Amino acid sequence: MVGVLIGMKLAVLRNTATGGKKAWAALGATAGLTLAVATIVLSFLDFAHPRMLMDLLAVTFALWALGWAAGPAFTGEAPIGGHHFQRQPIPRRTLTLGLLASAMVAVTTLVTLLAFTALVVFAARLSPWAVAVAIPAAILLLLLVVLASRVVSLLFATLASSRLGGVVTASVTAAMVALASFSWVVFIAVYILLEHGFPARVSTVLRALPSSWGLLSVEAASRGDWWGAAGPLAGLAVLAVALFGVWSRLLGTQPITRAVVRGSSAEWAAPRGWAARGDLGLFYLRELRTWWRDPLRTQNITLPVVFALLTALFPVTLDYTGFFPFAGAGAAVMGAATCANLYGQDGTALWMTLTVPGKEKADVRARQLAWLTVFGPMTLAMTVAGVVVHGEAAMLPWALAANLAALGAGAGLLVWIAVVGLVPGPDPHRSKHSPLDHGDVTGQSLLMFLLTSVAILPALGVALAGHLLGQAALTWASVPVAIVVGAAAYLGFGRLAAGRLAETGPELLQLMRTGKRPNAAAGTVRPPTAFETMGAGSRLRMWGSMAVGIIALFPQGLVPLGIKLDGSPDKVWFLALYLPEAWQWPTIAVMILIGLAGFGGMFAVYRAETRRVRAD
Amino acid sequence: MTTAPAAFLIRGLHKTFGEHTAADHVDLTVAPGSFYGLVGPNGAGKTTTLSMAVGLQRPDEGSALVHGVDVWQEPLRARALMGVLPDGLAMPERLTGRELLTSLGQLHGLDVAESAHRAGELLAVMDLDGPAERTLIVDYSTGMRKKIGLATALLHGPRLLVLDEPFEAVDPVSAATIKRILQRFVAGGGSVLISSHVMALVEQLCDTVAVMAAGRVVAEGPLDEVRGDRTLEDTFVDLVGVEVGGGRGLSWLAS
Repeated sequence: MVGVLIGMKLAVLRNTATGGKKAWAALGATAGLTLAVATIVLSFLDFAHPRMLMDLLAVTFALWALGWAAGPAFTGEAPIGGHHFQRQPIPRRTLTLGLLASAMVAVTTLVTLLAFTALVVFAARLSPWAVAVAIPAAILLLLLVVLASRVVSLLFATLASSRLGGVVTASVTAAMVALASFSWVVFIAVYILLEHGFPARVSTVLRALPSSWGLLSVEAASRGDWWGAAGPLAGLAVLAVALFGVWSRLLGTQPITRAVVRGSSAEWAAPRGWAARGDLGLFYLRELRTWWRDPLRTQNITLPVVFALLTALFPVTLDYTGFFPFAGAGAAVMGAATCANLYGQDGTALWMTLTVPGKEKADVRARQLAWLTVFGPMTLAMTVAGVVVHGEAAMLPWALAANLAALGAGAGLLVWIAVVGLVPGPDPHRSKHSPLDHGDVTGQSLLMFLLTSVAILPALGVALAGHLLGQAALTWASVPVAIVVGAAAYLGFGRLAAGRLAETGPELLQLMRTGKRPNAAAGTVRPPTAFETMGAGSRLRMWGSMAVGIIALFPQGLVPLGIKLDGSPDKVWFLALYLPEAWQWPTIAVMILIGLAGFGGMFAVYRAETRRVRAD
Repeated sequence: MTTAPAAFLIRGLHKTFGEHTAADHVDLTVAPGSFYGLVGPNGAGKTTTLSMAVGLQRPDEGSALVHGVDVWQEPLRARALMGVLPDGLAMPERLTGRELLTSLGQLHGLDVAESAHRAGELLAVMDLDGPAERTLIVDYSTGMRKKIGLATALLHGPRLLVLDEPFEAVDPVSAATIKRILQRFVAGGGSVLISSHVMALVEQLCDTVAVMAAGRVVAEGPLDEVRGDRTLEDTFVDLVGVEVGGGRGLSWLAS
């Protein structure tokens, strides 16, 4: 049974590995491998503070576990799941064991196992006896994260088929993403920690997490405390068994009856008034009804809002409320990132648009408008409320400009990415019991996040210039600049999207029907892009540059710049602000330069690769 | 012109996927006022051919003309003349049947009152009103999905219907309703092209048939000519050139 399931999984992976998919998988593997190596390197470091290494490793392991738990919300469901075998007479226990084994066969598990060998390194530095404990602990930890991932995704899948459940799962996911995206805080702030170590309370909480139990056990073994070593190990084993039990219970249960959403009654069904006045109104009404009724869309709304709120709230632990005004802009950017698969989510329903030709533009514009209707007023309210709570009216032009630019650019880029970067998934009526069973939208979300963030920069640049020159009027000019940039992106990218939709509608439909892009031999279809063909080395260089660019430009360059300009004495966790006054400006400048160089490097690699592909 | 152009003229439609030829230079001719059945085993290329013919899938070669209007050159005019029911595709799932039909009617250029009237009539005929009134399409059964699909195909009053497997998973009562609608449509001068692998149904409804196998049209003509004095099923099995399996039973199943 176990062998059969592993074989099936490998077959599925083999049969679905297209160029683009391989490219993303390679990117994921590269990033994962980098993180794993970083984790191991961490375990070799020496720290002055005695508890420091263990606390840092505890944070790292917790992040790995968090990644496993939050991952399925983006990557969709596992290729082989319990529902495929519901009608086969296989004992549940055997099936769960088989599924677990097949889940272990993955690059992600290998990479994670590699990261967890940091535990063995940690042990080896303590005593040989500790190593004997570390090896089973690492394996148990791996089992635990894989099991947790599956159980969480199954629980989410059951919950997410109702709108309320959608809110719950999206909030939990947003919390996990927000926590994970703050992971860099720990490492940036490491120089503060180096002196004082982790606050005792944080340390205690960290060690209580199951992901730290391996460390506890190893540490106890090194002291010769055998009970202390056995206890956490047993705890890990018990937890793994319990999760296994929950998983096999969940596999057996019938899908929970969904809360069925009802449509309008006969007299309200027909579009009337403004909606009946033209194609745009008709499509717009359809979109709004879908936003209101689809649990998946509920998640798409909840996740960005909760993410933005939590991101603004985290720094409050350091008594810093400076992110509050930007919660609205953040929600708009994330909203664009999570909603970028509008066409993919609708599945093959595209055929209806194709049977009324010439309406593509109205369809695209209606989707843009509907997204704006959902996110516009909500994020603007968040911005205003954020400025009020933060209590600094001078932040209003900055926050407003960022929010407006994100809304316009998001609404524009969203439909364009939805068409050119469509991620096929199962049709809605086939996945209505498991709305999480969508295509892997991680890459699409990342790209949207990045592009929308870049669109905010011109307006913030104007605000910055106004601030530097001490001209309030210029600072306020950032708002019209944001509106112009946003409107241009809205109109321009919407146009591009409509053109592309009209041109390649049948190909997009084919993509959604089969899950594969029509092959290049078919004639008019574009050849594979550099992104799909580039080698591992180039890929590493490209994404590595991007990561450097993001970290240096945004959190370590522009944000401390803003804080400094703001005249705030808060240091939060920005390197520049901890340095002596004379060094602060140069550091910020260098960080921004490094960031820009990172993005420059990324594009340079991509362009070189594109030229190579064209030359072939 | 002395003779009216064919209701649907498919010439040389061709499509390959990698090394697999899904449709191999397919020619079909649907005369005005005819009820035309396209039969073939699973994977014969029926759906690919019909998708290409109605403009949902780009052919490698070939053309399709609806009453003389090229589907790929003049999509706007061609689509106005035909109603299409693809097999198993999604709809705007979070709408009710009436919400879909009324807005689709207006997209086709009908005024508010007319599209509401037609939607009401179609829903009543298809039995999709009453208790099903407020059910979203995503919650429809397979048979209901077929019926709402057929309703969208009929809504704008086309002269040609192209229906891929219209009777699959439809209950006998609804099937009888659909048959009657289609027969009256043909009697009124419309033309219908359906694909199916239910031979009895095709024999009962169609006056003209074409048989496809492995991407090719192996026979086309009036029903009686194609089947001769045998049943369509026997002719079909001969034409497709396969031996009917199952004669020896399955070794592990008790006989």
